[in-house]
Amino acid sequence: MNESSPIPPQVPPPIYGPRPLGDEPAERAVIPNVIAAIEAVLRQPRRVLFQLRQPGASKLIAAMLFVAIGCSLIYGVIVGSFSGGMQWWAAPVKISAGLLISALICLPSLYIFACLSGSQARLVEIVGLVVGLLMLMTILLIGFAPVAWLFSQSSDKLAWMGALHLIFWGIATIFGLRFLAAGFSHSKARSNAGRNTWAVIFILVVLQMTTALRPIVGSADTLMPTEKKFFLSHWGDSMKTPDVKSLQDSR
Amino acid sequence: MQTIETSSRAGEFSTLLRAESQTVAAWTVEWRSRRVATHLAVIVFGAGCFGAAMGWWRAPEQALYVAIKFPFILLLTALGNTLLNAMLAPLLGLNISLRQSLLAILMSFAIAAAILGAFSPLVGFLVWNAPAMTPDVKSTATYGLIKLVDVVVIAFAGIAGNVRLFQLLAQLAGSWRIAGRVLVAWLAGNLFLGSQLSWIARPFMGAPQLPVVFLREGALQGNFYENVWSTIFQLVQFD
Repeated sequence: MNESSPIPPQVPPPIYGPRPLGDEPAERAVIPNVIAAIEAVLRQPRRVLFQLRQPGASKLIAAMLFVAIGCSLIYGVIVGSFSGGMQWWAAPVKISAGLLISALICLPSLYIFACLSGSQARLVEIVGLVVGLLMLMTILLIGFAPVAWLFSQSSDKLAWMGALHLIFWGIATIFGLRFLAAGFSHSKARSNAGRNTWAVIFILVVLQMTTALRPIVGSADTLMPTEKKFFLSHWGDSMKTPDVKSLQDSR
Repeated sequence: MQTIETSSRAGEFSTLLRAESQTVAAWTVEWRSRRVATHLAVIVFGAGCFGAAMGWWRAPEQALYVAIKFPFILLLTALGNTLLNAMLAPLLGLNISLRQSLLAILMSFAIAAAILGAFSPLVGFLVWNAPAMTPDVKSTATYGLIKLVDVVVIAFAGIAGNVRLFQLLAQLAGSWRIAGRVLVAWLAGNLFLGSQLSWIARPFMGAPQLPVVFLREGALQGNFYENVWSTIFQLVQFD
């Protein structure tokens, strides 16, 4: 924009595009620890994508998984602070476990969709992409945590808090899925239809998981629900309930 | 020596206000405690003066309370969203560090606070000329005028701060498009948090029928958006 700028523009290379991964020396630098993994997924996603294709990518995947679990536990504590009591520990455990189980449930279908679309990605790379998605999503949730905490302390409307957490999760998921899409764009996939279908499936699974593991935001007499429900029906019921924090599971 | 230092700090601040974005962009590269302290002082003093002018109409104690609360809202908004803003910038195409994003936002808040501070004597003069805030004043044009002036000044300061922030981001990114994306994301986050913090920190102007307090009873009960929602809901209910 201005050539006489005292500092050069600080724009990373586009995550998508025809340039092959590892084109720049910085992208070939090994990611040694979890801090570097966090930095890389935010600032150098191409470096993460390149490293996932290298031998020994499992170490990076383990580090990313560790971050994802840690961040989801921290955000879970913020979610649990709305109701307090048992939810201080139940909400983090449910959020963390729910995300992992959702990813596990969806992983085989992603691999199949990838193969059907002509992608050359190996299973370990697909696993890495999903774990990267989870890591980026949960890191962003940590960014939202101060705002979520403030609202948790100043609101007693369960439906409102549930909606707020869903909005934050939705924004984080958009960025997570963008990372996944970038990984796919470098895997020689002929079509994006499978990946897009999988994204819809993943979102639906996570949303249903929030209902299957309820209560997460509110509280109940039992740790797990006694009645099976579809998430839309659960949301509808939650909207009708009184505006108190300690709601019973009858919702 | 002291004079030179003071004038150089004043010069730095005028550079910030004039939006010499190349120079200001270079300021974000390194953390200079003195410069940050200047920006913080401008936020505390500028927003504090405007807060005092706003609360003065109700009572001198109200002026003091708002002078404390107003800068706090700005600072807590900047700090509360620090992590989020630092994460969103690279994801939206601007590879700046947490420190750079915090400094950029502090600078934009400092500009807004300086404008608020500059307008505080005018608001104070307006309040001085207004009749005392009695319960019946709410139905008069004066009440509406003072409220409108407060809102217009705050809006003007906010817009000016964000225009300068946009110019700074464009300088850092070398692209208007990326700067626009980052600004919109930051603005959304800051507005979202700032609105709720302002809601918690009520009252500002104060109400004549209510006692002068630092925070209203039940400040942490309910939130801004719930209130907006229920107001809209009440407005559209016809029966």
